[in-house]
Amino acid sequence: MAPTPNTNSQSGLVYEARGLKKHYEGGNVAALRGVDFDIHEGEFVAVVGPSGCGKSTLLQMLGSLDRPSAGTLTYRGRSIAGLADPAEYRSTEIGFIFQAFHLLPTFNVSENVQIPMFEAKLSRKEREARANELLDSVGLGHRLNHFPSELSGGERQRVAIARSLANQPTVLLADEPTGNLDSENAAQVVELLLKLHRDFGMTLVLVTHDLNIAALATRTIRMKDGRVVDASTPLPPTAS
Amino acid sequence: MTFFTVVFRGLIRRPVRTGLTLLGISIGIGAVVTLVGMSRGYEKSIGKQLDVIGIDVVVSNMSGGLMPKVFDDTLQAKIAQVPLVKETTSVLMLMLSIEDAPMMMVSGREWGGFTWEKLKLLEGRLPNDDKEFAVVLGKLAAEVLKKRVGDTVQIEADELPVVGIVDGNAVVENGAIILSLSVLQEISSNQGKVNFVDIRVPTGTSEAEIAKLCTDVNVIFPEGKAKPASEVVGTSQGFRVARAMSWSTSLLAIIVGVLGVMNTMLMTVFERTHEIGILLAVGWKRRRILLMVLCESALLGLLGGITGVGLGVLGLKLLELTPTIRGMLEPDMSPQLLLTSIGIAIVVGIISGLYPGWRSSRLSPSLALNL
Repeated sequence: MAPTPNTNSQSGLVYEARGLKKHYEGGNVAALRGVDFDIHEGEFVAVVGPSGCGKSTLLQMLGSLDRPSAGTLTYRGRSIAGLADPAEYRSTEIGFIFQAFHLLPTFNVSENVQIPMFEAKLSRKEREARANELLDSVGLGHRLNHFPSELSGGERQRVAIARSLANQPTVLLADEPTGNLDSENAAQVVELLLKLHRDFGMTLVLVTHDLNIAALATRTIRMKDGRVVDASTPLPPTAS
Repeated sequence: MTFFTVVFRGLIRRPVRTGLTLLGISIGIGAVVTLVGMSRGYEKSIGKQLDVIGIDVVVSNMSGGLMPKVFDDTLQAKIAQVPLVKETTSVLMLMLSIEDAPMMMVSGREWGGFTWEKLKLLEGRLPNDDKEFAVVLGKLAAEVLKKRVGDTVQIEADELPVVGIVDGNAVVENGAIILSLSVLQEISSNQGKVNFVDIRVPTGTSEAEIAKLCTDVNVIFPEGKAKPASEVVGTSQGFRVARAMSWSTSLLAIIVGVLGVMNTMLMTVFERTHEIGILLAVGWKRRRILLMVLCESALLGLLGGITGVGLGVLGLKLLELTPTIRGMLEPDMSPQLLLTSIGIAIVVGIISGLYPGWRSSRLSPSLALNL
């Protein structure tokens, strides 16, 4: 099942961050030192910067996997830190894609995609049908009963993408989705994400080291030492 | 895939550990079934014996131990004068080691009393009179002692011929050695002593009238107690002690079971921190994580309970075959006890899963994912 095309206005504000900070180890390590940015409906935003600059921390904040130490971060006007039920937000509003895939090894491909659907009110048959349709749409309809250990890296990431779409979110958060893949598989995964963004208007926030992928984004947020140094312009394509 | 699939996969990912935990619960529940089955079986068997013989009220001095203290047999005549008493008969009941059998019930019954009435002769005859030095054996007692009519049985210092084998319609009756009261008084040096006076009342006597009769008997026999047959088992101190011992030993087994399951569930949760992080990240609510862990531990309890009941029933069957138990009691293997034991096992599972479940539901998804 492909996601429903997003009909919201391109200019609708999805995320708004103001003075966002994150400290670890009792405040001694600062991962984010006051970050401001906006992300609008239907944008494809690439977050780039050197290792340790706070990109992944930022994505975890957007996904409500972690809480900010200071500042505000809102999703469609509501504070993420103040959400009464962050699980509901993670389940229905966003899809998360990780560099390390994070599939469950004891469940087969179809079951992995069904896992998030337990929070939706679907029957067993509906869950199975939706999972299989999603896997079909990422080109893995023939791998439903395989376990993650039997798949290539690219296939695993495609399963993870299908899983992220399980509850028909409008926002995809991808943390280095091609970081563990060879160039061929990386290209397939990027093409899939672009398709979701282009064809269905999904808002895509993608953390990457790869400037070629970042160049495909409508906008780039460049970070350094826990701060946003530029959040306005797309990157030019690189020679490579 | 259903939620149960997720729960089940959680258990089978470490089959050896799950198997060992199951074994632990099974042994605990097996102990509960065996111990409680024995103690309740004993109570039921005595209750059935009173019922089969047709005893309405039992007078005895049950102040300690399983067998009551002896008292003068002259009491019987006084009791017979109490209003509403239709029939009385005296019994001297002793638990003795007989030949190779460690414990047997030896029942000396007043000659001509109603306690002889319901014995059905399978072989041989009953003693000819109250003076005959002879015994009849309940059919189980005959099996345990490997005796037939014509053999002799040694009771204390005396060799008594077996003149008959009887079926008493109750395990306790069938496991007993039965002889004339005066003969048992003589060979056990209890001349003039008995430890039970059994009473029958007219048909249709109400419970209130029986209670009044008991009060009247207690006036003339203050050191002992008259009890309606239905209450003998429930209120006697010996049975209470046996019940308390079986339940307290069972409680220990249950506590060990709780600790075992909790240890397993904690290890499972620690080991699956990363997996739980993934579930939280894809939108599982904390209470679903808690429910998953609780269902896993409850399922462990249920499976352990079922195998434990199997073990317990096997244990009871084996014990029933031993000379010590055979003829003394019929173990309780009622569906009620077996279902209660499985219920206990499930509760054990749930209690054991509470802390690990709570802990796992409190995990920070970002920390869990990075592990």
